[in-house]
Amino acid sequence: MPPSPIIDQPTAPQNSGPEDRPRGAGQEFWRGVLDELPLQLGVAPFGLVFGVLGIASGLSPLETILMSSIIFGGASQVIFSQLWATGAPALFVGGSVSVINLRHVLYSASMAPHLSALPLRWRFGLAYLLTDEAYAVSIKRFLAHPDNPFKHYHLLGAGMCLWIFWQITTIVGVFAGTTIPPTLSLDFAIPLTFIAVVAPAIRTRPHIIACGVAGLLAIVGQGLPWNSWILLAAVGGILAGWLTLRLPRSWGHS
Amino acid sequence: MIATGLLTFAMRFVMFSGLAPKKLPAMFEEALAFVPIAVLSAIIVPAVLLDSTQSLSFVDNARVPAALIAIATALLTRSVVLTITAGLAALWFLLFLGY
Repeated sequence: MPPSPIIDQPTAPQNSGPEDRPRGAGQEFWRGVLDELPLQLGVAPFGLVFGVLGIASGLSPLETILMSSIIFGGASQVIFSQLWATGAPALFVGGSVSVINLRHVLYSASMAPHLSALPLRWRFGLAYLLTDEAYAVSIKRFLAHPDNPFKHYHLLGAGMCLWIFWQITTIVGVFAGTTIPPTLSLDFAIPLTFIAVVAPAIRTRPHIIACGVAGLLAIVGQGLPWNSWILLAAVGGILAGWLTLRLPRSWGHS
Repeated sequence: MIATGLLTFAMRFVMFSGLAPKKLPAMFEEALAFVPIAVLSAIIVPAVLLDSTQSLSFVDNARVPAALIAIATALLTRSVVLTITAGLAALWFLLFLGY
């Protein structure tokens, strides 16, 4: 059973059986692929839906397909398309997607101690493949076997597995997406994937406040131009959560 | 799009680069911790609550109970696969019943 991609550093599993022992590079790679495979249940419909959404947003089939390899991030691509469709200025689109992507700095920071000794080409490749889903499975592996010299192959396997699924499902979505009956409501896979990530991560009061404020602003801001409710809700939620965390502390000091 | 791709890559690479400080400023790290929750909630809530005409709908909207079932599944099992399966199955079942 795959873990939900917990947002802060998960703890290493307590008992890893003998079949779990790290071995060579090849085995780590395939272990990464296998660990990543179950998550494709969410990724595959998401890719299909993105293919359809890209075309509906006025992007060409080639642009939609290229976006899946250039940006390679589900949430980022969905938001890019939604903003693009409104004719928002490129700077605004890029800025909004960057706020969404700030979470990758967290993943990068949490993985850095495990990967910083690798040659530059490895760090480049693994950074490109670092997504929510690959992070979720590989950080667990790294923490369980921090001394395995081949552990980076696990992230390579997980990342490549996701990459291939994402590219194929985007292409299928672009060319065959309109043949998927709308009654299947496959687009519901997108909020479901994110519910699976967010719900278990909400553990403290500031988390609840961040979630509530972001959700509320996302609804209230629907009338704003350029779909800027996304940016408003993201920034508002981050600030609300952070202030709830900080304020009681500063009151205590004064 | 290429600029956005480069920015996305930069954020994934920044801490691997060896140039960034080993430890992020505590305040920045605290704020960053809310990014996934805020961003993903902002995507989830309208996707569940708004109907095809972009108007708010609680009743007559099978996505609301389906999302609640998905949240419960996520909290109980912490499994991505089960959450998506339960949510989609609940939605299809409710739509089939004519919800």
